[in-house]
Amino acid sequence: MADIFPPLVTSQIDAKPKVDEKVDYSNLPCPVPYEELHREASMSLKADNFEGLRFDFGKGLNQKFSLTHSVMMGPTEVPSQSPDTTIKIPTAHYEFGANYFDPKLMLSGKVMTDGRLNARLKADFTDKLILKANAQLTGEPHMSHSVFNFDYMGKDYRAQLQLGNSALIGATYIQSVTPRLSLGGEVFWAGVPRKSGLGYAARYETDQMVASAQVASTGLVAMNYVQKISEKVSLATDFMYNYFSRDVVASVGYDYILRQSRVRGKIDFNGVTSALLEERLSMGLNFLLSAEVDHKKKDYKFGLGLLVG
Amino acid sequence: MDSLKGKGKAGSKGASKLDLLKEWTNWSLKKAKVATHYGFIPLVIVIGMNSDPKPHLFQLLSPV
Repeated sequence: MADIFPPLVTSQIDAKPKVDEKVDYSNLPCPVPYEELHREASMSLKADNFEGLRFDFGKGLNQKFSLTHSVMMGPTEVPSQSPDTTIKIPTAHYEFGANYFDPKLMLSGKVMTDGRLNARLKADFTDKLILKANAQLTGEPHMSHSVFNFDYMGKDYRAQLQLGNSALIGATYIQSVTPRLSLGGEVFWAGVPRKSGLGYAARYETDQMVASAQVASTGLVAMNYVQKISEKVSLATDFMYNYFSRDVVASVGYDYILRQSRVRGKIDFNGVTSALLEERLSMGLNFLLSAEVDHKKKDYKFGLGLLVG
Repeated sequence: MDSLKGKGKAGSKGASKLDLLKEWTNWSLKKAKVATHYGFIPLVIVIGMNSDPKPHLFQLLSPV
């Protein structure tokens, strides 16, 4: 086999655009985590549109510890029998949160007035081994979920083991194959609806674009492409197809990052258009406007929010 | 017959040990869930109040 290790190139340091450098296969970058494979696309296309009023107040007690108080008033959707109508029930709740951020330990807990707790934990055991845990606990029996992830970060690969509360076990692995291409796979086994699944993913990125694709044995095929037009503008498009239920969803979106504001919008081929505006009114005061219009189901959602601190 | 009886007894003992283990893990998971549900936020607050620089209790309770 020919020797594939070329002499180390030093031209990576200067500012000229990279032109056909010899690839150093022993020095590949670490890939993104498997769950963040579609990170750039989900920033424009899966922005969190909300309905109603949202008011968040965050108070920092010191560098590491902060408390948050959130008030949300608005209709929440209830699943209905017919897919054409949506049933909404107006609700209002208050959520208290406490966060502790340390380089080695991150704890975040939020509790609502109805007793639901949303807890997250991230602990760095060593440089390379990280434990992440995420739990939603409620008072009702059998309605709580918790997931524990053990992440190991190698030189040019990442591996993750996932354990969930109702006998869910999963593992993912992603490896950098060239400086721009990374390939990964996942396997999971769920105890409650007894099924297991296998999936593959690929991600190709350059300075200007990111393209990623994912196929899973649950029938999901997802492909997306993000192009960075300039420092302020990026466009994204995605395509999701389920080959068992023959559902197809395609959407196109944009993300404008301006000096004082950020606008993200998307239009869907199911007839849904949505946009989210985040404007920085002054230091520590952010204003949010969200709109989502579903022409097919005739569901119109508009939201207003204010984030302080 | 004796060997069958012997096997029967050993089988039921083994099964009850496994059942006991399952019951014990279920019980401990239930208690852990209740403990996390009530104790997670107080735990975060205690860890935060003991970090440097130590904040005052007044800062925790006041709304400003």
